[in-house]
Amino acid sequence: MKAVTIALAAVAVALGLAAPANADPDTDFTNALHTHGIYGQKDYNAWIAKIACKRLDRGLDKDAFASAEFVSDQLNRDTSTEQAWQFLGLAIPIYCPAKQYVLQQAAGQPVAPPADPSGPALPAEQAG
Amino acid sequence: MFNLKRSKLWLRAGVGALATGAVLATTPALAAADSTDNYPIPNRMLKTTCTVDQYMAAARDTSPVYYERYMIDYNNRPADVQQGARDRISWFFSLDYPARRQYSENTATNVYYEQMATRWGNWAKLFFNNKGVVAHATDVCNEYPVSDPSVWTWML
Repeated sequence: MKAVTIALAAVAVALGLAAPANADPDTDFTNALHTHGIYGQKDYNAWIAKIACKRLDRGLDKDAFASAEFVSDQLNRDTSTEQAWQFLGLAIPIYCPAKQYVLQQAAGQPVAPPADPSGPALPAEQAG
Repeated sequence: MFNLKRSKLWLRAGVGALATGAVLATTPALAAADSTDNYPIPNRMLKTTCTVDQYMAAARDTSPVYYERYMIDYNNRPADVQQGARDRISWFFSLDYPARRQYSENTATNVYYEQMATRWGNWAKLFFNNKGVVAHATDVCNEYPVSDPSVWTWML
C-alpha cells in the first residue's frame, strides 16, 4: 500500500512539474521512467505500458495489483516493487487515463468505475 | 641450413591434410540439414503436454511483446490463412513426442513440407522460433485453462 501511495505521489509531482511535453508520448514516458531509475528500451517500455492498459481493459488484470505484478514480471530482474508501481503510475495517465480509477482504488480511495461505455443499465439489470 | 628431414615432415603433414580434405569432401553433407532435438522446433515444444490455448495464454503473460507481435501479424492475414494456422498448430499439439519430432525432421529436411508456410512464412513463430519464449511459456502453461478461445481474439 505504501508503494502505491508513493507511486501516486510521484505521479502528482510529475504532473505538477509539467515538464515540457514532447509530441511523442513514448518519449515523455521514457523521460519520466528515467527519473525513477527505470531504464531499458524506449519502445519496449512503451509497449509494456500499452499492453498493461489493454490487460486492464480486457479484465485480464483485475486490479492495479495484478497489473503491477504483470509489469514487474516484464522489467529487469533487479527492478523493485516500488519501481513497478511507479511504472504503472506513469503508464496509466499517459496511455489509458480512463483507467486511473484502478490506481485510486489500490490506494484505498473508494472510487466508482466510470460508466459503462455501452450505456446505462437497462431497468431489468438495475439492482433493487 | 636446409633441413631435409624437417621439410619431408612438413610435406607429409601437407599430404595428410589434403587426404583428410578429400575424405571430408566425399562425405555427403546431408547431416548438416538434419533436425536435432532442439532445432528447428525447440525441445520444450516437442515435449509439452499443454494445449495450444494453455501455451498461448502463458506466452501472453510471459513474453507479452512477442505474443503481441505474433497476434498483430496473425490479424493482418486473410481469414482462411488465420483458420489454417489455427488448425495446423492445433494438429501439431495433438501429436505425441515421436510424431512431433518426426514433423521437426520433415520441416528441416524439406522446405516445401509445411504448406502453411507458403501462405504465411511466420505462421508458427510464437511456437517454434524462439527457445526462450517457448521455455518461459511451457514452464507455466499447465496453470492455465485447457480451453480459452480468447487467446486468438486478443487484438479484436
